[in-house]
Amino acid sequence: MTAPSQNPGACRMSVDHQGAAIVVKLAGSINMDVADDVQRRLIELIDSGNAQRMILDLAELDFIASSGLGAIIATHVHGRHQDHELVLAQPAPKIRELLNLTRLDKLFPIYNTLEEAINRPADA
Amino acid sequence: MSESISSMPFKPKELPHQVVVPSNLRAAREIEEQIVCLAEKAGYSKEASFAIRLAIEEAIVNAHKHGNQNDTRKTITVSYEVGAQRIVVRIRDEGTGFDPEHIPDPTAPERLPLPNGRGIMLMRAYLDQVTYNEQGNEVQLVKEKS
Repeated sequence: MTAPSQNPGACRMSVDHQGAAIVVKLAGSINMDVADDVQRRLIELIDSGNAQRMILDLAELDFIASSGLGAIIATHVHGRHQDHELVLAQPAPKIRELLNLTRLDKLFPIYNTLEEAINRPADA
Repeated sequence: MSESISSMPFKPKELPHQVVVPSNLRAAREIEEQIVCLAEKAGYSKEASFAIRLAIEEAIVNAHKHGNQNDTRKTITVSYEVGAQRIVVRIRDEGTGFDPEHIPDPTAPERLPLPNGRGIMLMRAYLDQVTYNEQGNEVQLVKEKS
């Protein structure tokens, strides 16, 4: 029996504040095991703070399935009702490819760097 | 009217490994991990491993949520072969099946804000073959090595 090479269910989340934005670093995998939990935690962050923008830093995200995309979309829809903006930053090429393929690049602003996402004008 | 390859029922052929797991996502993911681990050991690229992981995940989610209607008393049957040149995985649920050719386009502008409905599209985008049995409750996934 071959042992799993890693724990792909692990999604590490860390939170930082940058001015009016809350920056959430998502690392590891957002798969079917953890997608609901990720969604719940992101929505709690929106509801519990005064930030007008949430930036999801995807630099260390290795894997995401449609359940994870759904968690991000649901967070976006939830926040939009409160004039809250969701922005994605620095996805790895394979994650960017997946976002483009699903055309979610039409739903969220996606920036190549965290700085660009943080400095994005509020009305952009 | 011609029929696309992806809708043609595949001819069942015994695969060397078969596992029956309870219909819950955690149990199903363990077999997903086994297959991805075997693929990595067999020399498949990171891109191929990413693709087969994604496709198995989507198929398992569909089997559990849509096929088995989230009923944890039901099972998901996973058959697979990780060969030198291709990976074949078959995933079957206990549902009544569906017509894979009548799935709304998740990239349509009005569907972009919906959180669900991208699984089959992703399987087709990342794999070389995605075929369903006639009933529509078993999907066969094929990823070529090169």
